[in-house]
Amino acid sequence: MEAIEAVDREINKVLNKFENFKSQRTQTLQDLIQCLEKTRTELSDAPDEDELAPSHSLIMSQTCLNIKDTLNQIAFEHKELHGNVSKVGKAIDRNFVSDFGGIMQDMMSNDKNMDKINQVICEHFLRHGMLDIAEEMIQETGLQIDETIKEPFLELHRILEALKHKDLQPALIWANENRIRLQAKNSCLEFKLHRLKFIDLIKQGHSHQLMALIYARNFAQFAHTHCKEVQSLMGSLLFVHQGLENSPYSYLLDPYLWEDIADIFTRDACALLGLSVESPLSICVKAGCSALPPLLNIKQVMIKRQCSNVWSSKDELPVEIDLGPDLRYHSTFACPILRQQSTDTNPPMRLTCGHVISRDALNKLANGNKFKCPYCPVEQSVSDAKQIYF
Amino acid sequence: MADLKALEHPTLKVPYELLNKRFRAAQKTIDREVSKTQIAIDDLDRCLQSSTVTVGQMKTALDGVVEKLTFLKRKSEESIQEETDAAYVCKKRIEHLKEYEVSHPTQEAQWKKKRLDRMLVEYFLRCGYYRTSLQLAEHSEIQDLTNIDLFLMSKEIEESLERHETTACLQWCHDNKSKLRKMKSTLEYNLRQQEFIELVRQDQRLEAVGHARKYFTLTEESQLSVVQRVMGLLAFPKDTSLEPYKSLLDENRWHSLVEQFRYENFKLYQLSNTSVFGISLQAGLSALKTPHCYKSDGSGKNTDCPVCSKHLNELAKDLPYAHCAQSR
Repeated sequence: MEAIEAVDREINKVLNKFENFKSQRTQTLQDLIQCLEKTRTELSDAPDEDELAPSHSLIMSQTCLNIKDTLNQIAFEHKELHGNVSKVGKAIDRNFVSDFGGIMQDMMSNDKNMDKINQVICEHFLRHGMLDIAEEMIQETGLQIDETIKEPFLELHRILEALKHKDLQPALIWANENRIRLQAKNSCLEFKLHRLKFIDLIKQGHSHQLMALIYARNFAQFAHTHCKEVQSLMGSLLFVHQGLENSPYSYLLDPYLWEDIADIFTRDACALLGLSVESPLSICVKAGCSALPPLLNIKQVMIKRQCSNVWSSKDELPVEIDLGPDLRYHSTFACPILRQQSTDTNPPMRLTCGHVISRDALNKLANGNKFKCPYCPVEQSVSDAKQIYF
Repeated sequence: MADLKALEHPTLKVPYELLNKRFRAAQKTIDREVSKTQIAIDDLDRCLQSSTVTVGQMKTALDGVVEKLTFLKRKSEESIQEETDAAYVCKKRIEHLKEYEVSHPTQEAQWKKKRLDRMLVEYFLRCGYYRTSLQLAEHSEIQDLTNIDLFLMSKEIEESLERHETTACLQWCHDNKSKLRKMKSTLEYNLRQQEFIELVRQDQRLEAVGHARKYFTLTEESQLSVVQRVMGLLAFPKDTSLEPYKSLLDENRWHSLVEQFRYENFKLYQLSNTSVFGISLQAGLSALKTPHCYKSDGSGKNTDCPVCSKHLNELAKDLPYAHCAQSR
């Protein structure tokens, strides 16, 4: 990306020049020192009271001048380097935005808000298993976190850690305890856990064959829901001797199954606990990072056109920000005519022809009681339109 | 990639300012040592110019020059090493930013997680939660990418100001003299005033007068009335209840000194007053906020939506809604 390239170029230039300067000038200084020391050793043979030969004198004065010139040059060259250094700064300023003022009113200066923000951050840490950091944060900020909030996260984390180490036991116990609720949500978690355990036993070969068979009794309860899968799992027993890798059942050994189980577990556990799957903080900041560039752009435009007052008085952002389908959590209806979101006071209305517009648009269009639908010119009356509930 | 442009200015500017600072220090050192060496050479020259010069004199003069040259060489090597180190910090951060561009989707998620951690570290540092930020930086291995050193240094000075000590802060003012003067900073002046007030508080009024003589003589016109008021403090006892002298003796003046220091420190490194984290959070909340999240009967809530979650819901109450012009 060219912004980064620009700064990178300047920094590389600076580094190069510094390296050159250092190696060359260190050498120069070294040479000067050696030259003087040579003269020194030449002189050290002669006794102290002797007078200096005129030739020597001349050479010495010349050397002195040389040294002075070189030193001045060194200082000058270093000063020149400043040009390159400041170019780096200019490149940074040119390519990156430094001022966020005027985009949002400052939420952070309010103490109560700070407390809530810290709570959210702490939950984020708990969710991602960074428990010691969360602890440190609670101590340093004096946050009051309910133990009941921490508990589910700690348990979740414990089970996930075990899954990472391929230990299925805690997960199985948990799935067992919550079986009814999981079944209500049509979760296949317990089945998959049993499946992994079964595959594990089979992998260990002939010696564990009987154990695998006995373990397979656990699949009885899944006979209705996962019939085909149980059948193919049983089929894999045929290949215990030669090992599953060389059989049509080698897909059962795919390490992807372990990553998958961790995901499924997180998803189901969070659904049961009424939590979102991903930390709300990460989602929010991700949305914010996508939202900031268009907001900064529009701020620039507003400043140019000198209408920056318009922003702060509205209670909607001035520009539509597309965050992508992943970050769309609420389905919204916006009237195609007025281009506004529907609210409780301005709900969507279904016309007799099937088209939907908002009530305000309806009222604006109608002269008296009759009007034509703006899409298909079907005549109808205002009272025929019914409010539609999505 | 637009979000890089919007968010990463502080990441790169702070090491650049450090590089600049080290460059200026190096230039000063080199100039100083060069002039010292030149003085030694002049001595040597003088020896040579005089009519009779013994070998012994030559030897001593030569020794002097060699010594100065060696010292110059060592000092300049050290200075240049420091400059190069600062430049390498810049380079490392740029390399990290480059990774975002070329990353695979899974790596992208990792990079974004690191970005969130970086923002949180800076947020913690600004709030003063130093231990948490250090731990988080270690955990995510982002120490080189965050400005921890800067904040830790300012933490020391802030703590010394809280203890009513002015030495550390005055040292800092001295180190950054030229830039502070460009910013027309009044910090040093206010520190001297506070020292004066403290002397009066301890009833050392004669010392206070001496202090004033030393430091208040260079007052500008605009500051004159302030100085007069402070000097007037000499006439009142320390438990006076008369304004404005009572407020001059107020302990809270130290707090405002801490804040002024913090503000000017940020300005020196071109950091803005709000953290990048704060701005991103607010922008995100606003962009995700819909009327559904705030329906009075709670019917619109979606457990996955961040704005519907308890704390963020309260936080986002005063923020603008997302603009929605098309049905989705």
